[in-house]
Amino acid sequence: MNRTKWLWGLAAAVGLLLIAAPALLESYPYIMHIAIVAFFYAILASSWSLLAGYAGQFSFGHMAFMAIGAYTAGIFGKYVRLTTAPTGVCSEIPMGNHWLVLVNFFGDNCLELGKANMPVGTLIYRLPALPGIILGIIMGGIFGLLVGVLVLRLRRTYLALFTIGFSEIVRVTFNAEIDITNGPNGLELAPLFPNGVHLFGFYFNSANKIPPYYVMLMLFLVSMAVMYWLSISRFGLFIRSIREDEEAAAALGVHIVRYKVLVFVVTSMIAAAAGAVEAHYIGVITPNILLILQMSLVISMAVIGGLESLVGAAIGAIIIEFALEFLRTSFTIGPIVVDMTTWRLVFFGLLLMLTLRFWTNGLIYPIIQRLTRSGVAEETVAMRQAAVEGAVEGQG
Amino acid sequence: MKKKLLNLFLIAAMLLVAVPVVAAAPPPQGGGQDYVVVADDWLSKLADKFLGDVLAYPAITYYTNQKNAEDPSYAKITNSDLIEVGWKIYIPSPEEAQAYFDAQVAKVGATGDTIKIGALAPFSAPGAVVGGTQMKAAFEIAVDEINAAGGVLGKPVELIIVDTEGLPERGTAAMERLINQDKVVAVVGEYHSAVGLTAKEVAHANHIPVVFAETWNDKITASKYPEVFRVAPLSSEVAALDANFIQSLGAKKVVIMTENTGYGIPAAESTTERLAERGIEAVTFSADIGTQDFSGIIERIKAENPDLILVLLTGETSYNFQQQAAEAGIGPQDLPMICNQVADNSEAFWSNVPDGNLCFYRKIGLAPALYTPETQAFVDKFFAKTGETPQSYAMEAYDSLKIMAQAINEAGSTDADAIIAALENISYDGALGHITFPYGINNPPPEDMGDKWWHQFPDFAATFIQYQEPGQNSADAPVVFPENLKTADPILP
Amino acid sequence: MEHASYFFLALLWIVGWGTVGAVVTPRIYGRKDLDVSQASLAGAATGAAGGPFALLPLWYLTPELTWKWVAIPSIVIVIIFAGSFAAADPNNLCVTNSGFVATQLVNGLVIGTIYGLMALGLTLIFSILGVVSFAHGEFYMLGGMAVFYLTDVWFPGLHPLVGVLGAAVLTFVIGVIFERLFLRAMNTGQVERPGEYAILVTFGLGFFLQYLTLALVGANPKKVPRFFEYPTISLPSADNPTLLKVTAGTIKMFNLISIPSPRFTAALIALILLVLLMWFLYYTWIGKALRAVSQDRQAAAVTGINPDTMNTLAFGLGTMLAGLSGASLVQVFSWVPWVGIPASARSFVIIVLGGMGSLPGAFIGGLIVGLVEAAGAGCVPDPQRAASYIPAYGMLILTLVLLLKPTGLFGREL
Repeated sequence: MNRTKWLWGLAAAVGLLLIAAPALLESYPYIMHIAIVAFFYAILASSWSLLAGYAGQFSFGHMAFMAIGAYTAGIFGKYVRLTTAPTGVCSEIPMGNHWLVLVNFFGDNCLELGKANMPVGTLIYRLPALPGIILGIIMGGIFGLLVGVLVLRLRRTYLALFTIGFSEIVRVTFNAEIDITNGPNGLELAPLFPNGVHLFGFYFNSANKIPPYYVMLMLFLVSMAVMYWLSISRFGLFIRSIREDEEAAAALGVHIVRYKVLVFVVTSMIAAAAGAVEAHYIGVITPNILLILQMSLVISMAVIGGLESLVGAAIGAIIIEFALEFLRTSFTIGPIVVDMTTWRLVFFGLLLMLTLRFWTNGLIYPIIQRLTRSGVAEETVAMRQAAVEGAVEGQG
Repeated sequence: MKKKLLNLFLIAAMLLVAVPVVAAAPPPQGGGQDYVVVADDWLSKLADKFLGDVLAYPAITYYTNQKNAEDPSYAKITNSDLIEVGWKIYIPSPEEAQAYFDAQVAKVGATGDTIKIGALAPFSAPGAVVGGTQMKAAFEIAVDEINAAGGVLGKPVELIIVDTEGLPERGTAAMERLINQDKVVAVVGEYHSAVGLTAKEVAHANHIPVVFAETWNDKITASKYPEVFRVAPLSSEVAALDANFIQSLGAKKVVIMTENTGYGIPAAESTTERLAERGIEAVTFSADIGTQDFSGIIERIKAENPDLILVLLTGETSYNFQQQAAEAGIGPQDLPMICNQVADNSEAFWSNVPDGNLCFYRKIGLAPALYTPETQAFVDKFFAKTGETPQSYAMEAYDSLKIMAQAINEAGSTDADAIIAALENISYDGALGHITFPYGINNPPPEDMGDKWWHQFPDFAATFIQYQEPGQNSADAPVVFPENLKTADPILP
Repeated sequence: MEHASYFFLALLWIVGWGTVGAVVTPRIYGRKDLDVSQASLAGAATGAAGGPFALLPLWYLTPELTWKWVAIPSIVIVIIFAGSFAAADPNNLCVTNSGFVATQLVNGLVIGTIYGLMALGLTLIFSILGVVSFAHGEFYMLGGMAVFYLTDVWFPGLHPLVGVLGAAVLTFVIGVIFERLFLRAMNTGQVERPGEYAILVTFGLGFFLQYLTLALVGANPKKVPRFFEYPTISLPSADNPTLLKVTAGTIKMFNLISIPSPRFTAALIALILLVLLMWFLYYTWIGKALRAVSQDRQAAAVTGINPDTMNTLAFGLGTMLAGLSGASLVQVFSWVPWVGIPASARSFVIIVLGGMGSLPGAFIGGLIVGLVEAAGAGCVPDPQRAASYIPAYGMLILTLVLLLKPTGLFGREL
C-alpha cells in the first residue's frame, strides 16, 4: 500500500516536471524541440508496443499510418479555405455568412479564378490545424481498419512482409503524385497556431516552442492514458490471449476478429494523431519519413524500452531520441577521429541486437518492474509464511 | 451527424482564427538627440564628436535604424560608409551606446572568446554523403585560414557543423539547434535544395543571416528574405546555360534523365522550357534516387531516338545510368551525352563509368585555365588534406564561410542587421572568383529579372568540359563551351 | 494514353469482380461444406477473368477447385489486361515495337535470374530455420563490397572470380557466426516468442551491418571493372551480323535484342551457381540432410542428423547466396552501403510469390519479378511516373499474393 502511494507520488512528480519543464527550459528552445520530437516518438513507440508487444501483431507499417495522418492534415490545409463571399467556381458549402471552399486538386486553381467574382474586402482564411488533425486521425483509423481486416489471416513473418509492402506502396504514392503531395520536396503545413496563442496570460508567437510542447505533451499523456486503460481492461487481456494462442482464445470465447481489427484501428489512430501534430509543428512532411530507417528507429525504441510495456517503450523512445541527438558530436581517440554521425547508428544497431538477445524485456522495463514490484517478494514470503503457519495449525 | 461535425469544425475554426495578434512594443529609449547630416559629415567623425570614440559609429547606425523602423522620417543606414546630406539620424547618448556595445559582447556567446558560426551539410543517407564529406573538409580549411589570419572581430571562429541527412525536417531541426542551442551568429552551407527551403524559414523567423552553398532551387532567394544569401548558381540559369550548350551542339531532340527530387524535377522543367524557346524538343524521364537497374528506361530512351541525352541524376545513380546507357549502345560514345557534374571527380567517374569517354559535363566554378590565385590555393590545400579534387560544392562551402567571416569583420559586430548590410556590400575574392550580391534591400532586383536574383551571386562561372581520352584527369580535360573560354572543340561521336 | 478509359474500365472490371469472387466464393463453398483452401484465389481469378458470367456458374455448380481454376482465368486476365492496354494506348512501344518488347523480356529474364539466386538464399533459410532474414540485403551489399576490396584495393590484379570466391567465404562466415551467437538461442528456449525474436534480431543485424559498412568504407560509390571482356564476334559475317554480334559491352542477337555483357556474365554465374546448388542439395549427403531437416526436424534428428548444425549451415549458405549475387552484380551496378535495401525488399516479394521455403518457387518468382519490373518500366505511358513506381510494382504483387494465397505459387500448405 505504502509502495503504491510512493509510486503515484513519483508519477505525479514526473508529470509535474514535464508540465513545468518549459518554465525551466524556455531559454533552450533546442532542448524543447528535442523534447517535442521525443514525445512524438514516444507516442509511436508505445502504440507500436501495444500493437506488437501486447497483441503480437508485428507490423512494419506503423509509420505509414503516421504519414497518412500527417498527409491528410497537410492536404486538408492545402485545399480547404474559408471565405466571406462565395467564389462561384469552386465547390463550396455555405455556413452562415462564411463559405467553406474546396480548391480543386487538378487543373487551374479555382480560388484564383474565383477572386474575380468576389467583392473587394473578401477575406480568405486558412482553416486552423485542429480540423485537419481530426480528419487525419479519422483517415488513420480508416486505413487501420482496412489493413486490420486484410491481415486477419496473416501471422508473424507474413504480417511483417505485408505491412512492409503496404508502407512502401504508401511511400511511393506520396513520392510520385507530385501534383497533390508536392513529391519529395515535402508538403508544407501551417504552424499549429498560425496567429500565435495566449497561454497563462502570456502571448506566444507562432514560432515559439511552448504551445507545441504542451500540445504534444497532452497528446502523449492522453494517448498513454487511453492505451494504459485499454491494456488493463478486458481488451488488454483479450489481445494478450490472442497473442499467446489464437485458437485457445477463440475457444474460450474471445471475438478474435473484432479485437485484432480494433487494436489496429486504435494504434493507427494514435499514430496518425502524432503524425498530424508533428507535421504541423515541423511545418513540412516528406515521403522520406516512410523509409525503413525511420520505422527501425521506432521498433528499436520500443524493443530497448521494453516491448511489453507501454511506459517502458515511451521512456525508451524519449531517452533514445535525446541520446541520438546529443551523440552527434565527433570525438577523437588518439589519432583516430570517430565520426559519431555514422557510428552512433552502428552502436545503436548493436545495442538493439544485444538487448533482444540478452534482455528480452528491454532495458527500461526491468527497472520499472523493480520499482513497482520490489515489495512483492517480501509480501510473497509473508503470505507463504502465513499459509504454512495456517497449514500447520490445521494439522495441529 | 455530418452537419454537426462540420459545425464543430467551424466553431473550433472561429476560436482559433479570432486570436488577435499582440505586438510587444519595446520600451522607448531616450537621452540621445536627433541630428541632420550636413556636408563633410561621416559617422566616425560624429561618433568622435558626440560619443568621444571614433569606433562607436555602429551604435549610431543601430539606433538610427531602430528609429527608422518606427518613424520613417529617420534615415535607414545600410552602409556605414555612406551617409547623405539631409538625412535625419539619431545620435544615442553615451549610456545608450554603452548598452549597445554590452549587448554586442553578450551576443558573441556566453564564453565570449569565440565567434560561433553554424554550418549545414548532409553526412548520412538519404542525403548526398559524398557531397557532405567534401563540404566538411572545405569548411575545415576555411576555419583554419580564418583563424590563422586572426579570426573574426579579433576572436577565433568556432564552427559547428550539423548533419541535415538531406531531409527537409532535419533542416528545420538543425537550424533550430544551431541558432537556439549553440547561439551561432550566422549559418552557412547546405547541399540539398529541399533542406534549404525549410532552413531559410527558421533563419528568417530568428533573424540570423545565412549564406547557402549548393542549394540551387530558385525559390530559396525568390522569397526575398533579408537574411538569405546564396553563392550557388540559380537552377533556372543553369537550365538556360544547358540549353545554350545543347543548341550549340545542334541537337533537335533531347532526352532529359532526371531524379525524382527537389532538385531534379524543377531543373528538368525549366530546362524543357528553355529548350522549347530555342525550338528543341525534350522528353523527360525520371527515376528515384538509388535506382540501380535502368535497362527498361534505357530501351525507352533508345526508342525516342534522341540527338542528345542530358543527365540530371546525381551521385551513384548517375553513374549507374551512364554506364548502363553506354553498354546498351546509347552512351557518350554513341551520341552526345551531358553527364552529371559529379563526373568532375575523375577517379570515381572512371571506375564507375569505364565507358564514359566523350562525356560532356557542366562545371560550376572557374575553369582550371582561369583559376585565380585564391582558387589555386584552395584546390591545393584541399588536395593536400583529402587527396581529392574539390567539387563545386566544396568551393561553394569554402566561400560561403569565408564570405560570412569577412562580412562579420566588415560589419564590426555580430548584429544580424549589420552583417546583412555588410553582405549586401561585400566584395570578396575566393575559390569561385569575385563574389558580390548586387540586388537586395538597397537595390531590389529589377522587374524584368525577377525576385530570384535577390541576394544572389550573379556572375557564377560555368563551363562545359569534355573527357576526350579514356581515363583522363578532369584537370586535363578541355573546356568546350562557352566559345570565349574553350580550349578545344567538342568531339561529337 | 489516347483512350485511357478502355484500360481503366478493364482494370475496374478485374479488380471489382476479382474482389467479389475472392470474398463470396469461400462463403459459398463453406456453406456447402466443401474445401475452401483454394476458394478465395480461384474465386478472385475466375471473377476477374469472367465477371458474373463465370462467377455465377462457379457458385451454382461449385466444382472441385483444381489448379486449372487458377491457371486458365489467369491467362484470360493477362489477355484482358494486355488487350485493353493495347486498345487504350495503341502507339505505346510495348504494342508497336516487337524488338523493344523482346529486349525488355530478355533483360527482365536476365536480371530475374540474379534476383532468383538471391531469393534462393532467403528461401533456403526459411525452409530450414523457419525465419525470414531481414538482413538479407546487407549480405548482398557485403558480397559486392568484398569483391571490390579484394580485387581493387587489397590485392590489385586478383582475378575477379577469386574475389567472388572470397566474397562467398566472407558472407558464409558472417552468417555462421551470427547464427551461432543469436539464432541458436531460439531453439534452446533462451528467448521468448522465437518467431518475433527472429524478425527483430535479423532486422537489427541489417541495421548494424549497413551502418558499420558506411562508417568503415564511406559513401563513395564503388565499382569493379567487367569480369570478362568478350571478344568481338559477328555471325554470320562482320558486315551482316543478323544472328549475333558481340562487342566488349553488348551482346546483340538477331539485330533485335541487346543484353549488356556484364549483366550476361552475372546471369551466367548465377545459373552455374544454381546448378551447383541443386547438385549439392540433391546429390550430397549434407544436402540431403538439409532437405530432410526442412521436411521433418524430428524425423531427421532420429536418423542421426544434428538439426542445429543444419541450421547453422543453412543460414550460412543462405547468406552466402545473397553475397554471391551481390558479388556478381558489383560489375554491373555502382555499389554503396545502402544498395541492400531495395534488394532485400525485392527478395521478400520473390519468396512470397514463389511460396516461402520453395526452392523452384524462388527461382521462378525471381524471373516473374524481373519481367514485371521490366514491363512496368517499359510500358507505363507517363515517362515521369514509369520509373518512380518501380518499387511499388513488386510490393503490389507481394500484398496481393499474401492476401489471396499466402503460400505463393509453389509453397507448402500452412
